[in-house]
Amino acid sequence: MSTKEQKERIELLQGTLDLLILRTLVRGPAHGHAIAKAIEFNSDEVLQVEQGSLYPALHRLIKRGWIGVEEGTSENNRRAKFYRLTAKGRRQLAVETSKWDKLAGAIAQILRPAEQEGEP
Amino acid sequence: MRRRKRMMEDLDQDIREHIGMETQDNIERGMSPEEARYAAVRKFGNVTRVKEDTREAWSFVWLEQLLQDFGFALRMLARNPGFAVVVILMLALGIGANSAVFTFAEAALLRSWPAKSPESLAKIVATTPQGGTEWFSYPDYRDLSEQCQSLEGIVAWSRHQMTLRVGAESQFVLDDWVSPNYFTVLSVHAQLGRTLSETPDPTRELIVVISDALWHRVFNADPNLVGKPILLTGKSYTVIGIAPPRFRGLQREVPTDLWLPVSMESASELQDRAYHDFELLGRLRPGVTATEAKAEFETIGRRLAEAYPSTNKATTFTLVSESERLRDALFPTFMLMTAVGLVLLICCANVAGLVLARTEMRHREIAVRLALGAGRGRLVRLLLTESALLASVGAGLGLLLASWLLRLQPALLPPAPFEIGLDLRLDSSVLAFTLVAAALTVILFGLVPALPAANLNLIPALKPVQSGPGPARRFGMRNVLVLGEIALSVVLLTASGLLVRSLVYSRGLNAGFDTRKSLVFFDLSPGLAGYNAEASLRFFQQAAEKVGGLTGVRRASFARRVLLSDSEGGAKQRVSIPGVELPQGQPNVPIKFNAVGLDYFATLGTRLIEGRDFRAADGPSGARVVVISETMARRFWPGKNALGQQIVADGKDFQIIGVAEDAKIIHIHEAPEPYMYFPFAQSPINWGTLIVETRGDPRTMVAAIRREIGNVDQNVPVGVRTLNYLLQQAFWEDQTAAGFVGALGMMGMFMAATGLYGLISFLVNRRRHEIGIRMALGAERRDVLRLVLSEGLRLAGIGIVVGCCISLGVTRLMSGLLYGVRPRDPITFATSSAVVILIALVASYIPARRAMRVDPMVALRYE
Repeated sequence: MSTKEQKERIELLQGTLDLLILRTLVRGPAHGHAIAKAIEFNSDEVLQVEQGSLYPALHRLIKRGWIGVEEGTSENNRRAKFYRLTAKGRRQLAVETSKWDKLAGAIAQILRPAEQEGEP
Repeated sequence: MRRRKRMMEDLDQDIREHIGMETQDNIERGMSPEEARYAAVRKFGNVTRVKEDTREAWSFVWLEQLLQDFGFALRMLARNPGFAVVVILMLALGIGANSAVFTFAEAALLRSWPAKSPESLAKIVATTPQGGTEWFSYPDYRDLSEQCQSLEGIVAWSRHQMTLRVGAESQFVLDDWVSPNYFTVLSVHAQLGRTLSETPDPTRELIVVISDALWHRVFNADPNLVGKPILLTGKSYTVIGIAPPRFRGLQREVPTDLWLPVSMESASELQDRAYHDFELLGRLRPGVTATEAKAEFETIGRRLAEAYPSTNKATTFTLVSESERLRDALFPTFMLMTAVGLVLLICCANVAGLVLARTEMRHREIAVRLALGAGRGRLVRLLLTESALLASVGAGLGLLLASWLLRLQPALLPPAPFEIGLDLRLDSSVLAFTLVAAALTVILFGLVPALPAANLNLIPALKPVQSGPGPARRFGMRNVLVLGEIALSVVLLTASGLLVRSLVYSRGLNAGFDTRKSLVFFDLSPGLAGYNAEASLRFFQQAAEKVGGLTGVRRASFARRVLLSDSEGGAKQRVSIPGVELPQGQPNVPIKFNAVGLDYFATLGTRLIEGRDFRAADGPSGARVVVISETMARRFWPGKNALGQQIVADGKDFQIIGVAEDAKIIHIHEAPEPYMYFPFAQSPINWGTLIVETRGDPRTMVAAIRREIGNVDQNVPVGVRTLNYLLQQAFWEDQTAAGFVGALGMMGMFMAATGLYGLISFLVNRRRHEIGIRMALGAERRDVLRLVLSEGLRLAGIGIVVGCCISLGVTRLMSGLLYGVRPRDPITFATSSAVVILIALVASYIPARRAMRVDPMVALRYE
């Protein structure tokens, strides 16, 4: 929790949280806390999720029918809600991923020449 | 909904679990339990916010918030009902006026022909050497419809007047002579029976289609009427059908009661190419453009001009398509809507002023809300909800006001023996217009004050000290607005004051007969029942005698014309006077005249100045005599006695036996002119008016008198006018102008008062602190009152001076409408100024009283 650690972390871009949640759930159902931890862990702790903001996003996804919810027990034997990817969600993930790739590619293309100009 | 509720209930537990797990993780990382929990909560973020956001994901939240805002707005308005009432009235006025004017514009200008697919209809017009005309002769119509290829059909109609008799009652009705294809081309179908068929009826039976309005008005919507005969000007016609509801014929302002096929009339005017009495409307063939049709019409016109040079020389035909008609209607509509839109704009400005004054007071409340974390967007929405609430109530009331205004139409039209007026109705387009107007209003008066409130700078606003006078710029604009309103109300009040004074003067004018008498007039047309002039004379004499014998009737006489009405358009006779030099050496002069029965002067109360009244001996066989007007006597025999002199009219000699006081012949405001009364017995005609003076209320006698007339001959059509009706018609212009401008004046005054009230309230609220200091330093309440009132009066004073200057110009333009009062009448100017000062005093007194109640301790406490 040092300030140095805080600085290296990046806040999520608007709308990307949905994508990350879907991606995380590909590996199987998970409860809220686990999803938050997974996002942080898989990004080598660069991406920081304000854990609370996960819940509105989860509910949005449920409403759209991209994820479902079921009761379960967590690893330390507590009752918890498990969120799982639906077929619709899986298709959406593919769409969102390709969208993201395009966006990232486009931005990279714009940024790369600038780096090269700066190099010599 | 249920799913959402379940999800939300689970959310709480979910969040608790989540924080629990994170705490556990933190403990495992080596934190103390307390520290671990704290870190977990911090990492989770604002729990309430998360819940709110999640609820929002379930999307009904906007509705919930709207209801919340709505309830809040209601509470806020209920706390200040005076404000709400004034604002709602203001908006109702602005929106109502706009809706009414829009309805009028729609009915008068924008509405298409009452037919199926009106877009393919085109009005046919002609250009003659005398100018443009919409009137055609029937032969021209026939040629046009036969030769023209580009139109599917042309309908012709011509307006006439008939009397309809039902039982003992007869009344005037308006009929259209129409071409047999009228209903088929328009594609209008009867609601009962049938319409006219295109092929003429071989039986040559007289048939008629009647309007829905007449069917209801006269026949109580009798479903068995079709096939039955009705009596129209003495002839029996068979009703073949009833037109659909709302179909009023092709003339917007004057609805048609009956349609008769023109083929039934063998009148000679149908053969006369010089008799232009028909209007034409054609339907374009599918695929033919208006331009092509115009070219064809030009060709036909040229052909007819060559064939009939005596009537059609230099006459060309063309047509006005529906889109052209609409285009022409747009400009006047636009002008009309701009004018009334300005009224709405002023209303909005006033309301914005009031809201601003109120927001000024609510600065602290708003600041507190902002500080407690209310989103600025949410705050603007809150204020807008309040505005929307006010606007929707205002719009609702406005619609009520508009429908009431539209029902005033008959009062604004001149009285007529038949129903006239536009078909005004608040339909869906008007509702849509009102909605748009209300929405614009919300944006105008709601957003303007709401935005600065939301951008409030927290720190100074939260400090208890009220901010001092605000930026001067905003005042400048508002000052000018209020000044303009005051000036405008002065102008309107002055104008209406002058019109009212003129009306009072006109009412007092001597009409040349006794307007206090109980008179009733029966317009009789024996000619329509087959009488010639001589038989008509006997009919009138008998009727006058019988009616005169009724108890309750004082006197009865008859005349060719009734005073104060434009019967015959004031026809004249050429008169030469032996021994008198006429102006410009003319051999004769045209002079208006009347032909009257015995006792005419006594019945009407017209004084005879010299000489005698007509006697029974002044009959067809007696010597020809005439009674002339005072002005005629003075003009042709100045300083001499006119009695016994001779005049020659219509080639016959007449001896003057009497001089009567001048009477108003057509118009109450006309200058006295020469007038002649001939004895009806010596120049009879087969129509006229029976004039009856009753002892009591003339209306109670009408039925008995009609019965008596019916006893003489019940086939003679009768129309009834009371003196009241006559006077109403005579004063219609003056009364309507005074009423209309007066209503505008009232509205202007209300607006000026509200504007001033809003401005002064605003000032007082801003200067609370200053007033507090003044009072703490020893100023009396009286001084505070004077301070505020002087502010209001200063504005009113400037406004009145400006208004009076404008009035001087405006009233000069009105001088043609004014009688017996000068356009610069000082009394009227003084009165309207005084009224405006009074209103200004009241409008500033209310906020002034509030200022006086400022408690210096409260105002200064936080200094």
